[in-house]
Amino acid sequence: MPKVKNWQINREMEYPYEENRPKRQIGYVFDINKCIACQTCTVACKTTWTSGKGQEVMFWNNVETKPYGGYPIQWDIEVLQRLDGQSWDDEKQTYEGKTVFEAAPQGERVLGWLPKEEDYAYPNLGEDECAGIVEKGQYFTGIHPVWMFYLARICNHCTYPACLAACPRKAIYKRQEDGIVLIDQSRCRGYRECVRACPYKKTFFNLVTRVSEKCIGCYPLIEKGEQPRCVQTCIGKIRLQGFLSKPEEARRDNPIDLIVHFKKVALPLFPQFGLEPNVYYIPPVHVPRDFLEQLFGPGVESAIETYRNVHEDKELLGAFMLFGASPKIIHSFRVKGETAIGYDEKGDEVVRVPFSEPLYIRPYFDRKHDTYRHNIS
Amino acid sequence: MQKTTVLHIIGVVLIAFFLGCQQSPEPQGSTENQIISVPVAQISFDDPRSINFNRAPATTIKMLPQNIIAPILKTASVTELTVRSVYNQDWIAFQLEWEDQTRNAVVDVDKFTDQVAIQFPLDPNNPPSFMMGNKDGRVHIIHWKAIWQDDIDKGYRDVQTLHPNYWVDMYFFVDEPVFAEGELPKEPNIRHFQSIEAQRYMPGIFTRNPVSLVNRTTPVEEAMAEGFGTFTTQPRQNANGWGTWQNNRWKVVIVRPLVSEDVNDAPIPAKTVIAFAVWDGGDKNIGSRKNYTPWIPLIRQIQ
Repeated sequence: MPKVKNWQINREMEYPYEENRPKRQIGYVFDINKCIACQTCTVACKTTWTSGKGQEVMFWNNVETKPYGGYPIQWDIEVLQRLDGQSWDDEKQTYEGKTVFEAAPQGERVLGWLPKEEDYAYPNLGEDECAGIVEKGQYFTGIHPVWMFYLARICNHCTYPACLAACPRKAIYKRQEDGIVLIDQSRCRGYRECVRACPYKKTFFNLVTRVSEKCIGCYPLIEKGEQPRCVQTCIGKIRLQGFLSKPEEARRDNPIDLIVHFKKVALPLFPQFGLEPNVYYIPPVHVPRDFLEQLFGPGVESAIETYRNVHEDKELLGAFMLFGASPKIIHSFRVKGETAIGYDEKGDEVVRVPFSEPLYIRPYFDRKHDTYRHNIS
Repeated sequence: MQKTTVLHIIGVVLIAFFLGCQQSPEPQGSTENQIISVPVAQISFDDPRSINFNRAPATTIKMLPQNIIAPILKTASVTELTVRSVYNQDWIAFQLEWEDQTRNAVVDVDKFTDQVAIQFPLDPNNPPSFMMGNKDGRVHIIHWKAIWQDDIDKGYRDVQTLHPNYWVDMYFFVDEPVFAEGELPKEPNIRHFQSIEAQRYMPGIFTRNPVSLVNRTTPVEEAMAEGFGTFTTQPRQNANGWGTWQNNRWKVVIVRPLVSEDVNDAPIPAKTVIAFAVWDGGDKNIGSRKNYTPWIPLIRQIQ
């Protein structure tokens, strides 16, 4: 099996195909600390793409509550239990265990498992459930003794997709122009090898069309320079989509490069699976570190420290200001004084965001209109 | 290719050669190591169930789990296939019979349908790999699925076939709105989604994927292949079939023209070879996770 470089686990790994990175790679950053699980992203995706017959329990985007939630049920536990010994060399930040490709049983390309149909029927199972019981008189500070957080999930448009690796028909492909991973709807024959292989369980089987489907990264929007539906509609402004450079080609003025490669404040979900996923999460600051390190790898502590100190880092703060600020894809940015300015691919300004929203205090009594006013926002 | 894989293939081929065929206990005669197609007067292409195989000798073939290329089937759940064949001047038909404890004719993420396929080489004098052919060595495949038969026999196997109590607030672009009239409204079925707008939400159907056909007229599909992963539906379909499941056994008939004008169809000279594959839906067989036979000689008995 060919050897490919996976920078997230800081080593080479086995993958069924040679390394073939796209010309540019779609990437996302989700700030978990800001997510309130309103599911606006879920509904935006659902109404846009998966309202058809056979897609009843199909959610390309879902938001689940950790630690107990999961869609499909226990998707993460099922893989983690099968993938023994996920140890990291913390000093070198190198993964020492096996990836899902390296741990594949004989006769399989990926260490996978196939969910049951019922596993998709309860997307909100475990919603808002805490990790334990809140004792009387207990109060929270720093890391919470009792905790939960929301994990928004979409297809990771992985650099090394397990779905693509597993498809015996080569019906799955990764686009060179943007790194989006797609299932060819005319070529798929519904073998469900991709459903079995994807450890994130973000490929789905449609029982009416009898072929598999997945998140398409809203490529019609991407092609006209706009961010995907789930990003645009996020009312908490937790999401930013852009194009992530290879580590050695990272540009400091690309907000997503700055956040992921330079500041290392956003981390991949389960990097130990070996897929090099391209959705990056700013870890929740209040959650016990052991749990977070299992999810996001050894960079968690450093990421949280950087995040907590962002008020001292105008450059990073400027990049954060761009989350949810424009429907357009922001290719570069700069900070001018107390304002972040985002630019499109041509270098034209698409958004300007002040670090602090202007505050206007109106007099309680408006003499001109002879009326009383309240300041409500 | 890795040495272990080569040895594996050699092992499988040797096992297939020695175990390939055995005498059947069927009373109407049997053949060893080959399938004898006998001439008959009547073969109905439109009604494969009416084809009489009583005069045809039975050949029982050992099946093997596909464990040559990933993803594999570790153990065979269908270990034997009994084959009979008849022909006349227009058609050749095969009756394929195997034991299957469950009739699986629906699909969902973890549900799989029973299937069987027959395969011929395009060049009978130089048969390619029995595993779906190889580059420049094309095969012709005729593939029957239980779910396709039920689509025709009982109506399209829809969401409500599997989940009668599924409830959806609304679907977009339903051709005929389905209202509640004093009782729970019925869910719209696939017939209510014929407009282009509705089918955009069913991309397999929209892209005319042959797997997503909703108005199927035959439970078989003709295809061609030149190796693993190259299964391609033929532009012209001219085969038919039908299966019955009784007493825990499938008996499937597949019929095709003896001499076909379709250039993608394999010729059937007096002597050629044929191979078989069976998928046990209850054992979650799909794609390359199948039970197979190597090439078996197929001889048309001359009257």
